[in-house]
Amino acid sequence: MLRDVTFGQYYPGNSFVHKMDARIKLILTLLFMVGIFFVKSFVVFGFVTVLLLAIIFVARVPLKSVLKSIKGIIVLLLLTAIINIFFTKGEDGEQPLWSWWKIEIYVAGLKSAAKIFLRLVYLVIGSSVLTLTTTPVDLTHAVESLLKPLRIVKFPVHEFALIMSLTLSFIPSLIEETDRIIRAQKARGADFDTGGLIKRAKAFIPILIPLLVGGFRRAEELANAMNSRCYEGATKRTCMRVMKLSWRDLVGAFVMIAFFTGVFLLYGMSKQWSVDVAWLYY
Amino acid sequence: MSKSAKVTAPAVEVPQNAAIFAQNLNFTYNAKSAFAKRALDNINLTVCNGEFVAIVGHTGSGKTTFVQHLNALIRVQDGYLNVLGHDLSAKKPDLKALRQQVGMVFQYPEYQLFADTVLADVCFGLKNFGVESDKREQMARDALELVGLDFDKVKDKSPFDLSGGEKRRVALAGVLAMKPQILVMDEPTAGLDPRGKLEVLSLVRQLNQRDGVTVLMVSHDMNEVYENADRVLVFREGTLAYDLPPRELFRKEEEIRAMNLEVPAMAAFCNELEKNGFVVPENCRTVEDVCAAVVALKEARNA
Repeated sequence: MLRDVTFGQYYPGNSFVHKMDARIKLILTLLFMVGIFFVKSFVVFGFVTVLLLAIIFVARVPLKSVLKSIKGIIVLLLLTAIINIFFTKGEDGEQPLWSWWKIEIYVAGLKSAAKIFLRLVYLVIGSSVLTLTTTPVDLTHAVESLLKPLRIVKFPVHEFALIMSLTLSFIPSLIEETDRIIRAQKARGADFDTGGLIKRAKAFIPILIPLLVGGFRRAEELANAMNSRCYEGATKRTCMRVMKLSWRDLVGAFVMIAFFTGVFLLYGMSKQWSVDVAWLYY
Repeated sequence: MSKSAKVTAPAVEVPQNAAIFAQNLNFTYNAKSAFAKRALDNINLTVCNGEFVAIVGHTGSGKTTFVQHLNALIRVQDGYLNVLGHDLSAKKPDLKALRQQVGMVFQYPEYQLFADTVLADVCFGLKNFGVESDKREQMARDALELVGLDFDKVKDKSPFDLSGGEKRRVALAGVLAMKPQILVMDEPTAGLDPRGKLEVLSLVRQLNQRDGVTVLMVSHDMNEVYENADRVLVFREGTLAYDLPPRELFRKEEEIRAMNLEVPAMAAFCNELEKNGFVVPENCRTVEDVCAAVVALKEARNA
């Protein structure tokens, strides 16, 4: 029952986006995530939609699995949108669209709710394109490589990356272990589905404690295994797969940077001296 | 017979004295999806009260899936299954009563220990099944002493401070305390030293012979299976390939090897004797029995 949960759902493929360097993908995703907050008008949101669809098409991942990632934040999405609808006041002199008692809804509120909604959705879609096309291993390597400059201030970059990759690799085995413990306690008559909140919370103790104990046991075993194979940290270690930049990274970076330069420029310009492109501000 | 048997009259005639009765039992993982995998394929079998049955088969042969059916950890998808009068094909079998009567010992059961004292851990099942608190301690004492631990010494210890073998015995006691009528065990001796193995096996035999507990034991150790079981079920790709007494089963050396299973040392020895024209008594399976049989054969020849 727990096995249905997926983390870092990598979708195997051989596309343009899959073959791009994980570091570049990570940086471009960050650029995308920042850039999306500089998009102010629906017209530009339209452009972003086209860009995203183009990326998804080039990555050859099914649209369905991309959209699945939104399911996880649907509550957050609706909550933010509703709060925006009710708490955004219109400009001076604007008549509320609808009002009842102290609640007033303005057109501006609807607009900002829609924009926040779109921003969050695109944020999640953008990052899920990254995790769908990049294996967790590559992602950790990318993080390690990008954080290298922090070594100057004695930040343990390699250890950080190691912790990250171990975390990711332990998730499936922990899920399996949880499944097993649940079955074992059920066989001893444990009941997780009835009773009040406190009773149900208490029912999880027999699962959590063996899980924790098992976690420590695994950690110790792994540490011993690494020690016995002469692991001694970052010094003198080389990577099996060396990351190299290719023309794909150049093309991908060019497209994304060009797009968001446009977005930033548009954001910087004031309405007065851009009458010619006023339609872009809707 | 319990309540649930009365509620739904079994559509199938369950043989008398049957502890477990399965008819046309099928199970598919991820049914109706691209990842569908047939785990059980038309299983028919009867296990009588008081039998000692071993279950063998390769990884993925369906034995674990079958065993989990017996405790309703996996619900019947298709077919009929009756365990101790509980109709498990019914919509709502009485799970509490069933799980109290069918004790299940998982692989590495020591990994399910959680309480702060041994006593509390052994009492966990009893408490869940609604045994009164004044009776629990006595039942826990019986169970811990049954598995060979000194109740007064260990009851207040943390289960995590015990040795590996002791932990396993505490976990076993946690299941045995409920006095199950059927004991299902998934590789109970895995990871134990030879002495620990012998102790667990003799405990299981004792439960089976003295207390009449029906035992189902999944095992990969054919010697263990050969010496202890009354009957061996061989699972292969979800089907029940063989259902025979151990001696008869392991005479089929070729078929056994074809399934990547081992032939037990004593069985191979007896088979060799038989091939050379000696008559070996049917029920000689342990090293001692075989030695005695060889001595008897020698004396018969000398005479």
